[in-house]
Amino acid sequence: MEKSIDAKRVGHILLNWAAVIVLVLAVIVFTAIRGTAFFSTANLVNILRAMSILTVFGMAATVSMAPDGFDMSAATLGTFCAYVFASFCLWFNFPLWLAILGTVIFAMIMYLLTMFLILVCKVPDMLATCALQFVHQGLGLAFTGGSAVSAGLTPAGWFAMFNGGELKAKAPGWSVAAQNVGKAPWIYIIMIICVVICWVLLERTKYGRYLYAMGGNKTAAKLSGINVKKMRFMAGMFAALFIAIGGILVCSRNMAPQINGSDSYLMTSLAAVFVGRSVGGAERPNALGTLIGALLITTLENGLTMCGVVYYILPAVKGAVLCLALVAAYASSKED
Amino acid sequence: MENQKITLGTRKVSIEFPGVKALSDCDFEISTGTIHAVMGANGAGKSTLMKVLAGSNPGYTGEVLYNGEPVEVRTPMAAKNLGVQIVYQEVDMALVPSLSVAENVMFNDTVMNVKGKLFMNYTKLRREAREVLKRLNVDIDVRRPCASLSLAQKQMVLIARAIQNTCNFLILDEPTAPLSDTETEELFQVVRHLRETENIAIIFITHRIQEVLRICDSYTVMRNGEIVDTTPITPATTSKEIVDKMLGRSFDESFPKEVCDIGEKSFVVEHLTEREGRVKDVSLYVRKGEIVGLAGLVGGGKTELCKTLFGAFKKSGGTITLNGNELKIGNPSDAVKQGLSLVPEERRKEGVLVAETVTFNCAAACLSKFCRLSFVNDRKAAQNAEQFVKDLSIKTPSVRQRVANLSGGNQQKVVVAKWLAADADVYIFDEPTKGVDVGAKQEIFHLINEIAKAGNCVIYATCENSELLSITDRMYVMFDGQVMAELETAKTSEDEIMHYATGATTPFVAAG
Repeated sequence: MEKSIDAKRVGHILLNWAAVIVLVLAVIVFTAIRGTAFFSTANLVNILRAMSILTVFGMAATVSMAPDGFDMSAATLGTFCAYVFASFCLWFNFPLWLAILGTVIFAMIMYLLTMFLILVCKVPDMLATCALQFVHQGLGLAFTGGSAVSAGLTPAGWFAMFNGGELKAKAPGWSVAAQNVGKAPWIYIIMIICVVICWVLLERTKYGRYLYAMGGNKTAAKLSGINVKKMRFMAGMFAALFIAIGGILVCSRNMAPQINGSDSYLMTSLAAVFVGRSVGGAERPNALGTLIGALLITTLENGLTMCGVVYYILPAVKGAVLCLALVAAYASSKED
Repeated sequence: MENQKITLGTRKVSIEFPGVKALSDCDFEISTGTIHAVMGANGAGKSTLMKVLAGSNPGYTGEVLYNGEPVEVRTPMAAKNLGVQIVYQEVDMALVPSLSVAENVMFNDTVMNVKGKLFMNYTKLRREAREVLKRLNVDIDVRRPCASLSLAQKQMVLIARAIQNTCNFLILDEPTAPLSDTETEELFQVVRHLRETENIAIIFITHRIQEVLRICDSYTVMRNGEIVDTTPITPATTSKEIVDKMLGRSFDESFPKEVCDIGEKSFVVEHLTEREGRVKDVSLYVRKGEIVGLAGLVGGGKTELCKTLFGAFKKSGGTITLNGNELKIGNPSDAVKQGLSLVPEERRKEGVLVAETVTFNCAAACLSKFCRLSFVNDRKAAQNAEQFVKDLSIKTPSVRQRVANLSGGNQQKVVVAKWLAADADVYIFDEPTKGVDVGAKQEIFHLINEIAKAGNCVIYATCENSELLSITDRMYVMFDGQVMAELETAKTSEDEIMHYATGATTPFVAAG
């Protein structure tokens, strides 16, 4: 009897720290195979850069999922935000701060639609945001006139209205400041700021407590006097903030908002949240866990690429990580 | 099989959860053709022991005996093969609301005995379901969807499902807790009928001692995971004797009303109507320091009234005023801001946040108090929780404990603590003693009295008339969402309450 309880406890600890253990194992294995090519400062920088955008989208997913919400349209909105950011920089020639502010406000306005569907029309989160994916994609391309926004390309037709009838971008190309956003060290700093904001919001403020309370039991939270709609709306606005930042990073890193450029971050960011959900026995989406999840996924991708695994297999690896994370999250639950 | 006695029992059954001994060396036996009660305070191990018999608690040590022979019942399937059927308290968990009564009654049959069959024979299914219900002597249209049934009818459907299979032992886990008096009476008739005609052993888990004395043949009392006593019930058995065994100490069963000074009218409700018509034109008032009861049967509209007052249901007309100011309540959040509080009926579903700590639950309604610039001061919140744990004697190893691990009575105290911390003016209690043991019940009553003494308004809704008679100052009797009568507790009787609660509009005339 004693022994089985001990075994159970050890099993629990292993599950709770599974993400970290896998991460450490991965580092050891990759180092053993590739030596200093993998285990070096230069490669660490690579990994950090590669994970930063994923982490920012992961924060958006974390903050939506804390009150038991969901957002399938985060990546498409991110792409849309990238178009908008690029147009602010290139077509309107806004200074960087104004372009960023404008993009964040734009994301929040677009998110009002999501919130309208979820809170006013009472459509379940998953379905509402699935539908909105298409809306974002279509409106996004309508905004750019069907092509990417890039230095040297002609702006979309509507832009002439803002430019005295002339269809020509106001800026000759990307400003240095806008380019730097997507480069080290700014991209790390932005990632860390996003994680800190998300962590403080969820772990240290009363709003975070309310969001987790809603995630645990919405009825009880409501009957405790928590304004659940207001809180869900607030979570949505924070998600919009992170999505906008994610879109800006994607755009700045690629020097152009490619069509559907952020879309691949959706599933990966959800995977990061699920990997991080159980880290340290938190059992709920949390900022630090998501950070570890993003680090794990990126390290695996990086290491496997170095070991000569062809790039087109990598999605299968990501999928496997997500499966394992979900197994860890749900297999230990008591219901069957 | 008929009229042949079969026994089911346990020998030295123990169960350990990490840190807790849920059952220790339990010897238990029951034979067919009897109605047996299993009683005990919350956390005494009643449900755990029953789960062992029903095969849903495979981690036990010791033996389960069937006719004296050791058998293995580590799965629900093994238990069912022995003819042990259990009906859990949460009937909705076991029913499929969108399917018809017939399909629900015959559920096991449909799932198990379909090898080689492809098409459903609905005519046969309905006929068989009707036959099973006839064995119970109840009349429910088998074509109705289960969602449209009352709670008592759902229970009947589950009992029907249980006896549709081989059933020698029927375990009913707190079957009467949510039922009104007439529904309880019907259930008893069914149970007696089953004992007489089907030679079934019925095990009742219950908190209501009066019921046990009325219909059971024998009882077992459990305390702290041990079996204290198993004895037949004789006319000489008294409820005090059982309560003493449950608590392990002598216990005064009545709850003396503590005297409070009653002030002026404070909380006034006029012509309150709920949008869906669940509450119709209700007017009532509560004075400061007064405990006002809401009486009525289950479904009479008490819970609905409580939720409408609290903003959880939308009102379509009427006014609510507190100390002369009209309250604008659109949702529960508004209600809390304006000094209302609700201890809801479904504790685990609506009252506590089970996954959160005692600290957070105690602070949930007034977290701003423990915040500086929106940042939570954990230490201050923990101090607040410690204070309430001490004041309300909440039994928990630490304030960091998740509420899921506390017993029912202690969870209820945490809910009350939440509102005490929020310093509400009006406390609405909806069945606060449901599923709470006698000891904790008295503590909760004491707590409610203290709240009233402090000059607050208390509304106490319950279908337990004895509780209303002992704790309230005045009461409103509800039927079908309306107030039928306003009664002074000191001048009324259980008969009078029931007279109005069953919808009578004529004045009550005392018998004799």
